Amino acid sequence: MANNKPMLSIKGLKKYFPIRAGVFSRVSGYVRAVDDISLTIYPGEVYALVGESGCGKSTTGHLIMKMLKPTTGEVIFEEQEIFSLRKREEKSLRKQVQLIFQDPYSSLNPRMTVGESIGEALEVHGIAKGEERQAKVKAVLELCGLAGYHYRRYPHEFSGGQRQRIVIARALVLEPRFIVADEPVSALDVSIQSQIINLLKELQSKMGLTYLFISHDLSVVKHMADRIAVMYLGSLVEESTKSQFYERPLHPYTQALLSAVPEWDISSRKKRIILKGDVPSPANPPAGCRFHTRCQYCMEICVQERPDLKEAAPGHLVACHLVHR
Amino acid sequence: MKSGLLNDFMRAFQKNRQATFAAAILLGIIFFAIFAPVFATHNPTYIRLAQEQIQLPPTALHLLGTDNLGRDIWSRMLFGARISLLVGFLTMLITIIFGVAYGAVSGYYGGKLDFMMMRFVDISLSLPTIFLVIILASFFKPDFFGIAVIIGLTSWMRTARLVRGQFLSLKEEEFVTAARALGYSDCRIIFVHILPNVRALIIVNATLLVAQAVLLESALSFLGFGVQPPQFSWGSMLSASQQIIFLEEAPWTAFFPGLAIFITVLCLNFFGEGLRDAWDPKLKNIAS
Repeated sequence: MANNKPMLSIKGLKKYFPIRAGVFSRVSGYVRAVDDISLTIYPGEVYALVGESGCGKSTTGHLIMKMLKPTTGEVIFEEQEIFSLRKREEKSLRKQVQLIFQDPYSSLNPRMTVGESIGEALEVHGIAKGEERQAKVKAVLELCGLAGYHYRRYPHEFSGGQRQRIVIARALVLEPRFIVADEPVSALDVSIQSQIINLLKELQSKMGLTYLFISHDLSVVKHMADRIAVMYLGSLVEESTKSQFYERPLHPYTQALLSAVPEWDISSRKKRIILKGDVPSPANPPAGCRFHTRCQYCMEICVQERPDLKEAAPGHLVACHLVHR
Repeated sequence: MKSGLLNDFMRAFQKNRQATFAAAILLGIIFFAIFAPVFATHNPTYIRLAQEQIQLPPTALHLLGTDNLGRDIWSRMLFGARISLLVGFLTMLITIIFGVAYGAVSGYYGGKLDFMMMRFVDISLSLPTIFLVIILASFFKPDFFGIAVIIGLTSWMRTARLVRGQFLSLKEEEFVTAARALGYSDCRIIFVHILPNVRALIIVNATLLVAQAVLLESALSFLGFGVQPPQFSWGSMLSASQQIIFLEEAPWTAFFPGLAIFITVLCLNFFGEGLRDAWDPKLKNIAS
């Protein structure tokens, strides 16, 4: 995989949100939602980004979708830096990169039929009109496990799982190559989750998709991902292949996360690592290693120096002084 | 399924007897205004100054009596309704078009632009409406269209605020993010994706605006700054009976036009509130 040309690479990406206070709304500080992230995603893989709430996963996804402007840093999709694109180039980027949302209830316009919601993009991008458009929409609905006659229905007539299928169909109608899936199943029932996960995998092989899969659920990630990156307080702490991740996690934070996954088999149950305290505020992150306030192995160097994300084994990057001694 | 939603709406609306009754009366008034020449018994502008012709009480010949210039009040009511309602409706159109556009831009783009635009709204709201209208009206000597523009200019602010608030919350919905991700233009997102979700609120607001405009036009005409003769509205009929001597001798010259204004505004308000409640009970107390 490493020989491939990267599909998407992120270099030194930062997003600071200003905190405004007082009568003149002066900037009194910054929330460091994404703080210096670099990663590379290759064609055909599922790259999972995991971490707890508020660690900047979704902000990263939105930055890749060009929904937000970064403070600094680059996002390069197919050798093009996306933030310096002109209008026309941006339109072609929109055809290639699409987004799937967490909440299937608010991500569909309640006033538009399913057919309108999905077919609109075809018209805006000048791909298909009239009957051709309808045929294409019906085809993509069927591809996503819905029926052609759902075309004229409104979103409120569908269940959560079906709506998520509609959202997926809308994202796929332009035949994109890269999908940012922002917690696509976390709002659904467990039984429906597996259906949607299977659908996403099936579509991946049918259409040759590449995913950035954002999730906080490690058991879902286990089914989907090829490579996994762990985020903590706006930065990456570990990046590895799936097998390395589940068998030899190196970063103490990753180990704690994995120990928290419920296990049905008593014999394989690990000792639960309970982290001390809360996640520090991203407006005022700790100096040195971001994780040192909660790390059970905290050393002197961790308080002073921020560890770099370095290779510990082939394809296994980790940012921890404990590993890189 | 659009018809399904419409049916639900109609059922909820018809349950509200007050609003249904108001709607029926309004339809009646509009009907009379449109077919005024059919129902009018006299030429509404024909003046008879002979002593036995002026300020006649209601009789079979003059259904609602005659005014101080001997004109038939019933016929004048019918034709006056045309101007009153037309001004109300035009004002509403102008207010809605301008207010919605202003609110949509302010709410959708947000940030500094929104801040500036909303301060301008605050300033406009602090000007005393009636004086502003009088000053504008006395400068321009407007016809009924001009009056509608002037009243519209002083009443778009609340609509703009209302729409801005809705846009602020709707633009954070994920379907708007999805539309942006699909590469749609801002214009398309505002008009095709967000505006239809504010439609109910706008229509309700529009109904209440008509009521407000009818009242304001009456006040303006009463003070003599409204439509100028030979045009006349219910408000200018009232103004003819300003002097206390007419009220003592011929109270019907003021009573009937006043009653017409009262009933029309009341029905418009009931109708608007009925629409609002039928559309979405959650909207209670928001759309005014």
